[in-house]
This record gives sequence, C-alpha cells and structure tokens, in this order.
Amino acid sequence: MLNEIANFLTSNVSNSSAVANEAELGDGHVLVAPESIYNCCKELKASDEFQMNVLEVISAVDYSDRIEVNYMLASFLKNSEVILKVKLPKESADAVPEIDSVVSIWKAANFLERECYDMNGINFRNHPDLRRILTPDDWEGYPLRKDYVVQKEWHGMEIDPEDKINKGDHFFFKKVVEEMDGDEKKVAYSWNGEQ
Amino acid sequence: MQDSVVLMKVDDFLNWGRKNSLWPMTFGLACCAIEMMATGAAKYDLERFGCGAFMATPRRADLMIVAGTVTMKMAERIKTLYAQMPEPKYVISMGSCANKGGPYWQHGYHVLKGVDEIVPVDVYVPGCPPRPEALIEGLMTLQKKVANERLLRDKWVKHA
Repeated sequence: MLNEIANFLTSNVSNSSAVANEAELGDGHVLVAPESIYNCCKELKASDEFQMNVLEVISAVDYSDRIEVNYMLASFLKNSEVILKVKLPKESADAVPEIDSVVSIWKAANFLERECYDMNGINFRNHPDLRRILTPDDWEGYPLRKDYVVQKEWHGMEIDPEDKINKGDHFFFKKVVEEMDGDEKKVAYSWNGEQ
Repeated sequence: MQDSVVLMKVDDFLNWGRKNSLWPMTFGLACCAIEMMATGAAKYDLERFGCGAFMATPRRADLMIVAGTVTMKMAERIKTLYAQMPEPKYVISMGSCANKGGPYWQHGYHVLKGVDEIVPVDVYVPGCPPRPEALIEGLMTLQKKVANERLLRDKWVKHA
C-alpha cells in the first residue's frame, strides 16, 4: 500500500520525491518533500485509485533541528489509511518554518493547522484564519517545542509561583537522567526549573 | 408551636436560613464536575443540605464550587464570575487542580497553580477527584463556618 502510494506520488507530482518507509512496529509512512505537500494531498484526494477523502489528523513533532509534520489521511470509500510525513528544517531555535496549507482541500485542516501553529509554531501559507486556538491570543512561545520556557506571568497572574513549586521533585528527573547515562536529551522535560 | 415563643439572636436566625439554603453556581471545569453532578443527583442528594439548587447565573448564587482544573484562560472568567456574585459569597475549591494545580503543578504552563491565587477560598476539598462524600464534608464544614458568622453584629455594633 505504502509503495503504491509512493509510486503514485512520484509519477503524478513532479517534485514530491516520495519515499515509502515501512515500519517494523506501528505504522509506516510516506515521506514527501515539504514544498509538494499541497499537490500530493490534492492528487491523493482526486485519484480514483486511493480516494483519500478524509483528513484525520495533522500533528507536528519538534526534533530540535527539524519539525516533522504528519498528515494522517483516510479513505472511507476504500477503507484505507496513510500517513504523509514532511520534514521541515529549522534554522534557529525560534524560527517559524513555513508550509502550504491544505484547507482548500479538506475543511478539517482549518483547526488542525491552527493547533499546529499554536503548539509547534509552523506558519501555514494561504491559511484563511491563522490564529492561536488553545492558548490565549497574546501567549508567548510555542509550548510543544523542546526548548520552550514558559513565561513568568500572564495578565498579572503568576504562572509558577515560587512558594507553590515543589523543588524536591526535581530529584526524580535528576535520577532519570543518571539512569540514561547523563544524556539529558533522552529525558523528555521541557521546563528544567532550577538547572 | 402554638402559644409559644422562640427566642434567639437575629444573627443565628439569619445564619440558620443562610446555611441551609446555600445555592451553588453551575460551574464545572473538568472531571471534578462529574463528581459534583453525582453529589447533586439522587444517590447522594445534595438537596438534603439545601444546596441542590444549582443556579445558572452567578447573580443568584451564594457559593462557587470550583470543580476542576483552572486554566489561565478560565482564570480571567472566574475573576469576573466571582465579582458578579452578590455578597455574602463563598468559594469551595474542589479537587487537587483547584487547590494547588494538581498534576499540572510543574509542567502545566497553562494551569493556574491554585484558585486561591485569584479568589479567596473558604474550604479546600482534597482528592483527585474527591468522592461525593468528601464534597458533602466540605459543604458541611462551610455550613459550620456560615453558622458562626456574625454579619449583623459586625455591621451594626462597633467594637464588638
């Protein structure tokens, strides 16, 4: 299935450079080039062979040097699913990478892309209404990035009051880091408190 | 009661009425609200304590049960709602999230660390979420507090 889709995209979208990646565990995906995502989605929806008429999820993951965006497409007509993956390079820590919006293909993409923009900081070109969706409009930063540090206060309310943060529990994370041979990158925590 | 006279302090009389008709505001924020609804429903029957009339507006409520996670976005609304309630007003902070941030105490960038940061809290009910018995205990504690208040004396008698 993945190979067929990759071949289809390679032949129908000129610059897609689609690669099928079968996973041993979990779900495999089709990796496509960032600039071709709009055309890939459009062709997959329009094709008689695949008829991807549903966009289930757009989710993004921050990997420090790049942001990966996953498009989970489904066909209710053919009873099939596929994950399209895009790797967006990130030049600096606070860079906001750009990618084409797919709202004109599936309306469902509207809120999903707003969520990606809100949480991971991805600018979707040609999005009709790109605003923050979960956090307040005047929030600073993108919370699901690895290097996110929460702001001190918002509208006069302190977010991490000194007297309410239990410093002792940092011990837990220090212990986990030690178990991981001192490699902090293997331990998932975004706000590293007193360190 | 025929041909008899009941003597009591006016404050006590008012407090007796107030404590047995604490009207809470319909205000559920998260999973604690499910327990609050269970407390109001037939099995635990909050109406036994005169507290079952969940009002759909803060202007008719005496009691705000903050049941659930208070996000920063919601905190602004809570301030407004609390200001809209008529005096005397009471707040029960229900569950770990409303007490101190709960499981969001360290990495919850979006959660207020305790509703007492923005409104004065009368009774804290611990639990995640608290069982209906715990909420009823909290309510009875608040009733004791109301019963011991001296609103008229504090207002009219100087140096009481």
